This record gives sequence, structure tokens and C-alpha cells, in this order.
Amino acid sequence: MRSIMAVAVNTIRQILRLKIAVIFIVLLAVLLPVMGLTMTGDGTIKGRLQTFISYGLSLASLLLCLLTIIISVYTVTSDISGRQIYTVVTKPVRRYQILVGKFLGIIILDFVLLIIFTGAIYAITIMTPKIAGVSDEEKTLLKNEFFTARQGLKPEPVDVSKDVQQTFQSLVQKGQIKPEQLQDEQSRRQIIDDITRSKELASRSAAPGQILNWQFKNIKIKSTDPNTVLFIRFKYEVSVKPADMMVNSLWEIGDDRDIKLGQVPKTKIYQLSRRDRIQAFHEIAIPADAVPADGYLAIGFINPPQLNDTVVIFPPDGLEVLYKADSFSANFARSVLLLFLQLIFLCCLGICTASFLSMPTALLCCLIVFATATVSSFIFESFDTLSSGTELFYRFTIKPLLHILPQFDLMNPNEFLVPSKLLSWSALGWIVFIVVCVKSLLLFLLGILLFSFREIAKIIV
Amino acid sequence: MEHVIETFSLTKVFSDWWGRSKVCAVDNLNLKIHKNEVFGLLGPNGSGKTTTIKLLLGLLHPTKGRSLIFGGDSTEPKVNSRIGFLPEESYLYRYLNARETLDFYGRLFDLPVEVRRMRIEALLDMVGLKAVANRAVGTYSKGMARRIGLAAALINDPELLILDEPTTGLDPIGTRQIKDLILALARRGKTILLCSHLLADVEDVCDRIAILYSGKIVTEGMVKELLQQTDKRQITTGLVSDAVIDKIRQLLDSSKTEYSIATPIDRLETFFIRIVSAAQQKVHTPSGAVSTTKLGDFLVGQPEGEIKAGIIEQLASKEAEKKSVEQPASTGTVNKPAEVPLPVDHDVLKGLVKPREPAKPVAVKKQTDEPAEEVRQINKNILDELTGSPEAKKNKEDKADKQQGG
Ligand SMILES: Nc1ncnc2c1ncn2[C@@H]1O[C@H](COP(=O)(O)OP(=O)(O)OP(=O)(O)O)[C@@H](O)[C@H]1O
Ligand SMILES: [Mg+2]
Repeated sequence: MRSIMAVAVNTIRQILRLKIAVIFIVLLAVLLPVMGLTMTGDGTIKGRLQTFISYGLSLASLLLCLLTIIISVYTVTSDISGRQIYTVVTKPVRRYQILVGKFLGIIILDFVLLIIFTGAIYAITIMTPKIAGVSDEEKTLLKNEFFTARQGLKPEPVDVSKDVQQTFQSLVQKGQIKPEQLQDEQSRRQIIDDITRSKELASRSAAPGQILNWQFKNIKIKSTDPNTVLFIRFKYEVSVKPADMMVNSLWEIGDDRDIKLGQVPKTKIYQLSRRDRIQAFHEIAIPADAVPADGYLAIGFINPPQLNDTVVIFPPDGLEVLYKADSFSANFARSVLLLFLQLIFLCCLGICTASFLSMPTALLCCLIVFATATVSSFIFESFDTLSSGTELFYRFTIKPLLHILPQFDLMNPNEFLVPSKLLSWSALGWIVFIVVCVKSLLLFLLGILLFSFREIAKIIV
Repeated sequence: MEHVIETFSLTKVFSDWWGRSKVCAVDNLNLKIHKNEVFGLLGPNGSGKTTTIKLLLGLLHPTKGRSLIFGGDSTEPKVNSRIGFLPEESYLYRYLNARETLDFYGRLFDLPVEVRRMRIEALLDMVGLKAVANRAVGTYSKGMARRIGLAAALINDPELLILDEPTTGLDPIGTRQIKDLILALARRGKTILLCSHLLADVEDVCDRIAILYSGKIVTEGMVKELLQQTDKRQITTGLVSDAVIDKIRQLLDSSKTEYSIATPIDRLETFFIRIVSAAQQKVHTPSGAVSTTKLGDFLVGQPEGEIKAGIIEQLASKEAEKKSVEQPASTGTVNKPAEVPLPVDHDVLKGLVKPREPAKPVAVKKQTDEPAEEVRQINKNILDELTGSPEAKKNKEDKADKQQGG
């Protein structure tokens, strides 16, 4: 243990001598306050905070990720190319202990830097409203919509299979599907797929005069504060774009079960009419007393025929109920932990590649992996659509490889902090398990294996 | 006899990137080095000395054959905690200073903090870097870097010391000191493997040598046997009158052999040591390494008042740990010899001559009072002895019994 710590301390010293760490630290130390002062966002205080937190965290995360890659590769390769490693491996330390020591050194440094930078971002975020002198109204708005951690609930997908079967049967009966089409498995499948798609779309669309309904269960609002609100977050698509790109709507939100039985509802039902831009997310704030104790909530959307003349379509993820489930600080801390997980992975990656490659090659490998991991969703999507011809090839080669990478874009703290969405402990725990216990550990073990059996003194030109 | 290093047809073939074999750097090497032996590995450049060492230490994997150190694998912590290794060049962490460097290696050996502190000071003193110990080793000169490398190799008081060209870059005093160190360690029962091109050095200290040529051993044997000129005799005398010389001439003439009579001149080494130590008296803050010929107490195994047990053995017991903390003065005496004028190596040399001599500080005091002639006398004796038979080396206690020239 003493020898591992000796290596760790030496690694930290080595890194601090490397000017690059200092440059990064200075860069962040200068940029963060500047960003805090100059960023305005969309002009509102909430927009300003969202922009700052999003750019601040992105910058800190990018710099720390790059720093981690560079130092983890450097500390291993420089010892080998400078041959200091000769005097270390011939001491009573096992080779894995050397790598563990290096890992610890880097991670300790990363942790300290991360705490400092995200601490600064947190402090600036908290201080900004106080310095900017916001009104009480804005304060409540911030409290409800920004300084919070909201649980998001999406409606369960509508089961359309029965409907599809019925339609299919009726089409067959009406003779609109020809017998030879029925015989051929492929065209039969095609027809069913087509029907399913149109039914699904229908379940999400409302022509003028039509109503859409969603039911939610298990909305658990912990707060007893009477001012607590919950949010309905939504986005519209339309069949025909209106000239001003605006859509009118009527909403009814509350517990509708008593009404269905013809009784007076026990909790309040909120009705409102709105006018919103299409293809952008909007939020409706509703007092939390709309939700009864059992956590049920129904949402009704009405496409008013006298005001609209287009079909309004909700995209698949187009509606969500959000409510406060935790504090902003706790959510911030967990999101920062998410960044830390990325650093752990990159550190393992750097050490692993450096254990058998030279500095430039290892750096290149790490940067490629980092870039790929950062846009992994995009890559998955594009491969999924593009690979129709080479499906098999893709599924057994590129896809498993891509799955080895962690999906950094899904681990982006901004995904949670900007829309004030809850990152639950369980979700975080799962990511920890996948990214640290599986992917990082595998890489690290691979690095240890390669390093242990490597001929340290071998020179290849 | 117990073997410390054993190799069994050890072979290393270097191949290029494509896997084509290029160089056979070590070729079926069968090396046996006994316990408490000073073994010299000689050979021209590129003959495979360094490669052999790297194979022994597990830095390279043998193409064929295997090697054992202390009967085990050299990558086992149990084995390599007993080894000290000085690589061909000083590969140091440039940003650490001398003290931090030694501390780092001490920690790798898992040495307790008191032992580490004690040894670091003793070693810095020994290699003469105490005055510059707070400078980053990256700024050191070649010889200074070599010295700190040597100190790092000794931090664990190794039972087996592997030195790859230890004297490159060292000044004559440093060279001399390494030789003294090797002899002192040998006296304490340590084993030393030494690679060097400086044949005079090897000759001075090695019991046995092997000469490598392109990876193969060409000659191997005891230095004494390899170098002995059995058909010659040498007589060394004090200053005698011409009359006596004439008598000797007559005697030799009658025995009909070729002979020559001359006044011996000082070796350049002795001369250099004398000049530098005189200069050292005047300059108190040197910019480089301070030349000393003293050896770390714990290495020589002669701490204050103690003769047989080295400090290390003492420190092994808990009681001794306390003792060393209570008596911080134990390292203090090491400083004294630096102030001794004229033959600086006197102290060490005297130790070699009379290892059982008690109370060192007294001896130091005495030296300055002693007549110069006697000093030179002892000095000469030991130099002769160093160049003489290794057997004699091991029976040094008995000064009177010593015979010269075989
Ligand atoms: N990593 C390596 N790759 C290829 N060849 C090597 C490598 N290391 C050493 N050699 C070759 O092996 C041979 C022996 O080299 P080695 O360093 O052991 O020589 P040496 O006896 O220590 O020489 P010197 O006296 O110059 O230090 C040389 O021909 C050298 O070119
Ligand atoms: Mg060599």
C-alpha cells in the first residue's frame, strides 16, 4: 500500500510539473467568471442561469476530459520512454501496483480539480440571482423551474395491437387486401406494420375538434409547500404549418375519475387555453393540489376547431409531467459525479492504451474513443438507419464495439441540470455499475495484463 | 556453494518489428555467481553485458533459457527487495530533488519512516550531495546524477548489488569510493555483480570475472589466477641506501635473471585525491558533489561503537528503532572525516585494514596527530593489498601477516 501511494504521489508531482495542467487550470479559472458575467441567454434570469451552467459545465468537462487523457497517457509513456520505469519495476512492487498507483494519482487530482471547478460553477449559479437583484416573482419562478430537481414521467405507450388486428380483419373482410397478399408473409407483415404506424400516429394526433387523453399514476410530490407546482412539458408537430407557426390549445388537467362517475371532483381541475409555437418545448405550470393523494393525474388536450385548422401531433417523447423530487444541490452533486465517472473511464482508457502504445498513438486512440463516445447516440442512430443493406455485418462488428464505449452524451450533466430534471440515485448507480465496474474495470484489467507481460526494456524503432 | 545468480543457457535474440531476428545479444549464457562474491562482467561495447543484466532483472524476457536470483524469479517482490540495481545510465525523475528521489525509492521498498530518514541522510552524506540535496536532480551533472542513482540503489541495503558501469561519469574520488564501497559490502557478506570497461577498477575489486564477447563467455575465472605472472617476483622496500641496492644487484646477478630497479611513482588516482581534498578544505559551499570517501554507516556495518552488527540488523528489532531515534547523533560522526586533511580515504582505508578497531571518532582524532609517514605507510599497504590477491582481502585483520607479491 505504501508503494502504491508512493507511485500515486509521484504521479501527481509529475503531472503538476507538466505545464499543461497549469494551463488548463488557469484557462478555467479565467473563463468561468467571465462567462458568469457576460452570458445572458434569452434575457430572462432563468435563461441566463441555464446558459451559464450549460456552457460552464461543458467547458469544464471538456477540459478535464482532455486533461485526463493527456496526463494518463503521459504519465505511463514518459516513464517508459524515459526509462525511469527500469528502476521502479525492479523494486518490490508488482506491475499492477504501479498502474494502480498511477490511476490513484490521476483520479485524486481529477477529483480535486473537479470539485474546485464545479464548486465555482455552483457558487456562481447560486450567486447570480442575488447579484442581479431579481424580483420576488422571478425568485419563485427560479425556485420552481430551475433550482429544483424534477422527476419526469412519460405516458405509457398506447397499446394499439388490438386495434390493428381489428382494422386488419375488417380490411380483409372488405376485400381490400387481396388473398395473394395474405399468402405472402412479407407483404402481410408490411401491411400490419403500416396499420400499426398509422394507428400509433393517430393515438398521438388530434384533428381540429378532437381530444387527446393521457393518464399518469404514481406522481409522488413530497413537498408540503402550498406553492409547489408541477409541470407539463410538451412539444407540437403539425400536419400543415400555420403561417405564424403558432397553435392554439385547450387543456384540462386534474383527477377526472369522479367526473366520469358523474360526481363532483374532490380535487381541483385546471382548465386553460394557450397559444404556443410549434416544434419547441413548452411548460405548463399547475399547482400541485391538482394531484390527489394516490398520485393520479389525467391530462386532456383539445384542438379547438374554431381557432386551429391543422392536425396537432405530439411526437413520441412529446409530453412529460415534471414535479419536484429533490433539491437542486443534491442533483448538481450527482450530475457532477456523472462527470467524474467519465474521467474515471478516460483515465482507465489512457492507462490501458499507454501500457502498450507509444505516446502519440495512445493519445490518438484515446481522442478517437472520446470523440466517438461523446456523439455515441448520433452514431447509433445513423448506423441504425444507414445499415439496412449491411445489417448483419453492422450488428456483429461495429455495434458491439460501439457498445463497449460508454455513452458520454447520455452522461452529460447538462441533460439534467438545464431542464432541472432529476438524476436519481438509482439511475446514477446503474451508470456507475456499467461505466466504472464493467467498462472501466475491463479496460484497466486489460492494461494491467498487457503491462505485466510487456518487455519493459524492449526498444522498437 | 550457494548461488546467488544462476543462469541456464540464457539466450536473447532481438528481432525487428517484423519479427525477423537481428541480434543475438546473449548466447547460451551459463553464469553462476556465488554468495559473497564480487563478480566482474567484462566485454567490449555491445557484447551483451547490459542485456544480461536486463534479463536477470526481468526487464527483458529471455528467448531461451532462464535465470534465477536467490533461487527465485527476480520479479518476485520477495526476491527483488534484496537487490540493488544501478542501471547503465541514471534514469531519474527529473523533477524530484535528491532527498525526494531517495525517499521515493525507500517507499517502494516499504521501509519504515525512521529507517528511511536515517538512510537517506547517510547516503546523501556518502555520495556527497547533501549540499545540493534540495535541487531537482534534472539539473544535476552527469556524475552527480550517477551518484544519486547509486544512493538509490543502496537504499535497501541490498544483499545483491548489480552495478552496470557504475563509474561512468564519476570523478576519480567517486570511482575510488565505489571501489571502497564494493569491498566494504563484500566484507559484510554481500554479493556484487559489476559491469565495467575500466579494467583497473575491476582488477582492484573483483574476485572473479567473465569476459563476454558477442553474447558468449570467452574467459571466466578468478582474477588472481587469470592475472598472476607465475614467472615473476616483485619486492617493495622502504627507502634504502645505494649500498643495499648494490648488494641486491649482486645477488640477482648471480641468480642470472632479468630484473629492473626503480623508484615507484604515485598513482594518478592517489595524487588526484590528495589535490581535491586539499581544495575542498578551502571551498565550503561547492556547486557540485562533495568528494568524500566515506561510506554510509549502515552499508559498512560499523555504526558508532558497533562493529559486528550493521544498523540495519539493529533496526530490524523494535528496540533498536527507538534507540536510533533517541540517538540522532549516530549519523553525526559521519561528517567528521570530511575535515581530515591529506589522505581523505584514510578513514575508510583504516577501516579496511583494521575492521575490528573500536570507537571510530577516536581514530579520527588520532589520524590528524599521527605522523604523515605512518599514514602513508598504511595507505600504501592497503593499495598494495587492493591490487593483490582477493584471498588476502578477506584476511585483512592481520596486518603483520600480510605478504606481498604472492
Ligand atoms: N532493445 C534492443 N533491440 C535490439 N537490439 C538490442 C536491444 N538492446 C540491445 N541490443 C543489441 O544487443 C547487443 C548487446 O547490447 P548491450 O547493451 O547488452 O551491450 P553492452 O555489453 O552493455 O555494451 P556497452 O558496453 O556499450 O554498454 C548490441 O548489439 C545491441 O545493439
Ligand atoms: Mg551496457
